[in-house]
Amino acid sequence: MSLLDITDLTVTYSTDSGTVHAVNDVSFSIDEGVNYGLAGESGSGKSTLAEAVLGLLPSNGSVESGSIEFQGRDLTGLSERERRDVLWEDIAYIPQSAMDSLDPVMSTGAQIRQAIQTHRNVTDDKARARVRELFEIVGLDPDRIDDYPHEFSGGMRQRVTIAMALALEPDLIIADEPTTGLDVIVQDKIIDKILEIQDRMDSSLLLITHEIGVIAETCDELSILYGGKAMEQGSVDNVLVNPTNPYTMGLKNSFPEIEEGDQDPVSIPGSPPNLSESPSACVFKDRCPFATEECEASHPDLVDLPNRNHRSACHHVTKAAQMRRDATDPETWGIPDSHDESDRGEVLLETDGLEKYYEQSQPLLEQLRGNDPNYVRAVDGVSLRVRRSEILGIAGESGCGKSTLGETIALLKQPTGGEFVFDGEPYEHYADGNMREFRRKVQIIFQDPFDSLNPRQTVRQLVGEPLTIHDYRTEERERAIIETLEKVGLTPARKFLDQYPHQLSGGQRQRVAVAKALVLDPDFLICDEPASMLDVSLKVNLLNLLRELADTEDIGIVYISHDLASLVQVSDRLAIMYLGRVIEEGDVESIAAEPKHPYTTSLLAAAPEKDPTVDRDRVLLDGEPPDPVDLPSGCVFAPRCPKAEDECRESEPGLDTVRSGEHRAACYFPDGETPAADDLADDRSGTYGDPEFSSPASGDSASD
Amino acid sequence: MSEFQRFLAKRLAISILLTLVAVSVIFVVLRLLPGSPFESLVTAGNLSQQQITEIRAMYGLDQPMWRQYLSYLQSILLFQFGYSILRSQPVWGVLAPRLVNTLILLVPALVTTAVLSSLLGMYVGWNRGSKLEKLSIIATTFLRSTPVFITGILFVIIFAYNLELVPAFGMRSISASPEGYVETFASLDFLHHYILPFTVSVLYYSGDFLLLARNGVVEKRGSEFLKLHRAKGLSEMQQLARAGRNSMLPILTYFALRLGMIFQGLILLEVVFGWPGIGRELVLAIQQQDYPLVQAAVFIMALAVIVANLVADVLYAYFDPTVSTSGGGAA
Repeated sequence: MSLLDITDLTVTYSTDSGTVHAVNDVSFSIDEGVNYGLAGESGSGKSTLAEAVLGLLPSNGSVESGSIEFQGRDLTGLSERERRDVLWEDIAYIPQSAMDSLDPVMSTGAQIRQAIQTHRNVTDDKARARVRELFEIVGLDPDRIDDYPHEFSGGMRQRVTIAMALALEPDLIIADEPTTGLDVIVQDKIIDKILEIQDRMDSSLLLITHEIGVIAETCDELSILYGGKAMEQGSVDNVLVNPTNPYTMGLKNSFPEIEEGDQDPVSIPGSPPNLSESPSACVFKDRCPFATEECEASHPDLVDLPNRNHRSACHHVTKAAQMRRDATDPETWGIPDSHDESDRGEVLLETDGLEKYYEQSQPLLEQLRGNDPNYVRAVDGVSLRVRRSEILGIAGESGCGKSTLGETIALLKQPTGGEFVFDGEPYEHYADGNMREFRRKVQIIFQDPFDSLNPRQTVRQLVGEPLTIHDYRTEERERAIIETLEKVGLTPARKFLDQYPHQLSGGQRQRVAVAKALVLDPDFLICDEPASMLDVSLKVNLLNLLRELADTEDIGIVYISHDLASLVQVSDRLAIMYLGRVIEEGDVESIAAEPKHPYTTSLLAAAPEKDPTVDRDRVLLDGEPPDPVDLPSGCVFAPRCPKAEDECRESEPGLDTVRSGEHRAACYFPDGETPAADDLADDRSGTYGDPEFSSPASGDSASD
Repeated sequence: MSEFQRFLAKRLAISILLTLVAVSVIFVVLRLLPGSPFESLVTAGNLSQQQITEIRAMYGLDQPMWRQYLSYLQSILLFQFGYSILRSQPVWGVLAPRLVNTLILLVPALVTTAVLSSLLGMYVGWNRGSKLEKLSIIATTFLRSTPVFITGILFVIIFAYNLELVPAFGMRSISASPEGYVETFASLDFLHHYILPFTVSVLYYSGDFLLLARNGVVEKRGSEFLKLHRAKGLSEMQQLARAGRNSMLPILTYFALRLGMIFQGLILLEVVFGWPGIGRELVLAIQQQDYPLVQAAVFIMALAVIVANLVADVLYAYFDPTVSTSGGGAA
C-alpha cells in the first residue's frame, strides 16, 4: 500500500491582485521506504505542495480540490487537533532555511524535547536522553544539547533540524530544499546524513529541491513540476536518463556539470508562467521550442509510457527521441551559438601577496600592556593576475575570504599589505585622488539582486545613476542606458525603462544589476556570487551573458562563487581559496581534470551528478575550517586533510610546490595521475560519521 | 572572572560614572538659576543683612563654589541629603513619604499594564486584521496621546462627580489621620481613593506596551522557526507563546526604563488627583529654590533611571542568549 497518495491536488492563493493557481491537478504517490523527489524552478509550486501536505499553507492559501491520503486517511479533511497529532508523529519536516528555522531563544535540545513531549508523555529525563541519542545519530556532540542555535554553524543547525525530524521516527519525512544556502561540501555531508539515517529508520522521504543533481543521487522516483503542473514523473533512472518532456530536457541541460566544462550549458530562455489563471494551454508552451497549435489548445495529460515507470505530460511524447537530440543544441532554444575564443589580452589586474587583516578587539588591559592584537587574516598573501577578456573564477567554502578578496581588489576595503596594480598603476596612485577613475573602470556585482537595487527607482534611474555620478556620456544618457540594457539582453529596452524592480522577475533584476555595472563601459568586473539566488535556468543565462561580455567587450572578470560547477563552465582560469590563501591555481581544464590539491579534489567530488546512472564517490571532509585567528602551523588544510603527514604540519607549502605549466598548487603530496577521487575515498571510507565537533573550529563558530 | 562578571563590572563602572555626571549637572544648573532661596525672605524685609550672612554661613553658602561642590559630592554620595531650607526638616523626611506615595500608585499600575497590555498586544498581533486589533490600537493610542490630565479630569467628572462612585481628590479622606505606612495604605478608604488614579495611569501606559508587543509578534509571525513549531504540532496558543517569548526583548527594555522614570512621578496626574507624590513636591521645591530638596530629589530620580538601565542591560543578556556579553565587534 502506498504511504502518501496525492490525487488531483489543486492549491490556490488569494492575493490582492487575484487568485494565484500555485498547484494544478497534481497527482503522485509515495510507497513505503521510497525516496521521492520533487523538482522544479521557483514558482513551480513544489514548496506549496509540501505545505499543503503538512497543513502549513499560509492563511491566504487553500486546497481547492483533490485529496491527500496518508495511510488511507484524507489529510485535507482533518480538524486542527487531529492534524496536530499526525504532524511529527507520522510526518516530520526538515525546513528550507536552517539558519532561521530554529527558535533563537530556546536551546536546541529544548526544541527537540518540545517536539517529543508534545506527542509523547515522557519525563524530562527520558526526553533529554533521547535528544542526546539523536545528537549522536546526526553527528553532533551530545554535550551541546543545551547550546542555543546561534552557537552552531549553518550545517550544524541543519543537523539539529534533522535530529528533530527523527525524534519520533516518523513514517514520512518531508525535506524542503534542505541544503539550499549551504556550501557544496556541507550540502554533500547533509544529504549523506539524511540518506544514511533514513535507510536505518526505514522511513520514506519526500525531497523538494531545484537541484536535479541532488535528486538524481538520492531518490528512486520523482516528479518534475512546472507552473503548478506535473510535467513528467516516474523512476529517476527513466526520467533523467531519457527525458520525454521538453521541460525536463531543458532543466537537465541547464544543470552545469564539471565534466562538460568545454560545452556551454543550454539555458531555457524566458521566465516562469503567470499563474493568475488556471492553465488552459500547456503551461510550458511559451518557452518550449517544440510548441505547436495543439499545445495552445490544452494542457496535455500525463501519459503512461509503455513498459516502464514513466509518465510525461506532453503532446509530442512520441517524438521524444528526436526532441532529446535537438534539445542539446542551443539553437533549438533560440540562443545564438557564439563561442569564438578570443585571445586573452594584456594583464589588467595584478596582485602580489595581497593581504587584508582585521584587528580583533581586545580587552583594555591587554591594550595597556601593549600586546599586539590578534588579527583575522581574511586575505592572506594572495597573488593573482587577470587579463583582458579573461574570466578568473575564485572558489572556496564560505568563510574562506573570497568575498573579502573581491571587495579588496575592488578597493572597497583597503588592503593591509601586498602589492596591487591595476591598469599599470599601483594602489597608491588610486588612493591618492584617482579613486573616481578607478571606480569607473572597475565595477562590482553583488550577491543579491533583490537587495542591491533601490526599490523606489525605475530602471532608467537605476542604470542612469552611475552616469550622473561619473559625469559620463551625460549628453546621450538615454542612448547609453538603452544600449546597455540591450547588451544585457533586456529587449526591447524601452519597455523596461519605467519599470520598478518589483515589477521585474529575478533574472531581469539581476540583468539590471549587471547593466548598472556595465553602463560605464568598465574594464574590469567583479562578480560576487551573482547567481547564487537564481534558479538554474536563470543562472545559466547569467553565466552565458558574462562569458559573452568577456569575449566581445574585452573586459576582465573575476567571478567569485562556491559553486564549482558553474565556475568551471564560465571561467578560463580558476583559483581555489582556503582560509585566505590560494591553494591551487591554473587553467580550468587542467584543474577539473587533474586537481592537485586534496582540497580541490574534495570540492570537485562534492558537486552532485545529474546522471543517476553514474555512481559518484563521496569524499566527505571532516570538520570545518579552523579559526582564522589561531591558524595551525604548517599547511592550513592539514587538520582536515586525509593525506597530511608530519611535514605538512611543520611548514607551509608555497603555491609553487607543485607546478606543471600554468597549473600550480600548494601541496607536498599532490593528487597524482591515478584518479584522485578513488584514492581519497579509499582513505576515507567509513569515516564520514566523524562528528563535526572534532575540529578545533567548533567552539569558534559560536562567535558569529 | 567570567565573561558575564566582566560585563557586569563594566556596566557598573559606566553607571557610577553616569551618576557622577548627573549629580554635577544638577549642582551647576541650580547655581546658574538667578536668585537664592532667601530672596523672598529678604524682599519681605523680615531679615536683616546680619541674619542673612549668618544663615548663609550656616548652610555653607558663603564658601567658594569648588568647596561647596566637594562637600556636596561627599554628602550626596553618602545619601546625606541635609536639611530643607524652607521646611526646616531633614530632606529625607520630606521626600521619603512622597516617594512612597508615588511608587505605591505607579509601580502596581505599570506592572499591571505591562502584563495585560503586552498579552493583549501579542494576541491581537497574532490575529492580525481582526476588529479587536483595530479597536485596541485606536483606543490605546488615543489614551497615550491625550495629556494625562485631560483623561484624569474626564474620569473625575464621570466617576467622581456624576456617578459619585469614588472620591475625586486626595489619598485619604480629610478626616483620616493615619500614622505610618501600614495604617495609611491598608485601609478601604485608601483603596477607594486609589482606584481612579490607578486606572488612569494603567490606561496611560498601556499604549506603548500594546504596540510593542503587537509589532513584535507581527514581525515574528511569518518566521521560519514558527513554521517549524507549527509543523511539530504545537497548538495555536503554544505557537503564540513562542512568538511572544521571541518578541519580549523590547518590552522588557521599555519596562525597565519606564520603571526608572516612575521615580519622577506623573506630575500632572498627581496635581489632578491631589496625590501627595514626589512630582508635585519637586515642582514646589524648584519654585522656592530649596537647593537641598531639589538636589536630593533629582539625584534620586537620576539614580533610578541609571539603575533601571543597568537592570535592563543585565536582563537583556539573560533573556536573549544571542546577546554577546563580551561586547566584541564580532557578535
